[in-house]
Amino acid sequence: MSFCLDTYLQQSDNYEIHASKAGFKDCAMIIRYKADDLVYIKPGDEVLGVRVIGIPPIPIGFDHKKGTVFLPYTKPCHGTSVVELPINDEEIEKIRKLDTGNKK
Amino acid sequence: MKALVLLGCPETPSQTPMAVYVFDKLTKMGYDTTIAANPAASKLVKISDPEGYYKLNLVDLERTLGEINEGDYDLLVGFVHKDAAASFFVTFDQILNTKSLALVFSRDMDEVEEFVNMIEESGSNAKIQAVRAFHNPSPIKVKFDKAIKEFE
Repeated sequence: MSFCLDTYLQQSDNYEIHASKAGFKDCAMIIRYKADDLVYIKPGDEVLGVRVIGIPPIPIGFDHKKGTVFLPYTKPCHGTSVVELPINDEEIEKIRKLDTGNKK
Repeated sequence: MKALVLLGCPETPSQTPMAVYVFDKLTKMGYDTTIAANPAASKLVKISDPEGYYKLNLVDLERTLGEINEGDYDLLVGFVHKDAAASFFVTFDQILNTKSLALVFSRDMDEVEEFVNMIEESGSNAKIQAVRAFHNPSPIKVKFDKAIKEFE
């Protein structure tokens, strides 16, 4: 069964919220600041079983030492959050394939 | 022809009557219209039509996001009155890659400008109608009526 972020966030406490109820741009800035490696994806691209919501280019960050990923997570009434959670190499490679290379 | 209407957070009073208005208008224009909303926004719209007069077709916003593909709809209309709503609109717009109209409003003109910038910076070709509004839906209605003529 493939990984689903929504289910993971409901059923696990092994994740960290770095910003909550924020604007998308602030969250994108936090990801760029905290991650040691970044890829940029398009809105609607699927990461960890969910389509990522945001304004392009959307940064997805990695902390390779900790083995974690940072991504924006948006809900209609709660704005955007930055979620950090564990990720394996297979999922990292899937995300790398989405990289648009556009950092502007 | 199919149209998708995106609702944002239901905190703004003018969104619910405008959702019914936009649904009715698009249906009369010949669109098979669907409203995508979160559960709270959806209930406000549904209870506004107790007899089912408008035959409102309501679907869950996040489930729809997971299911849609390019070409599924011929027109996207989005209510953008929060940062998250701008993000949702841009995301649906990019996936569907179709004609789109953003109804941007807030009681704060700085926010209106910010949301317009978010949509424009995304590279979207959406037609944007922006106005200061919160309780009173009339300014949004006027902007929508003017803009939708271009899609007739």
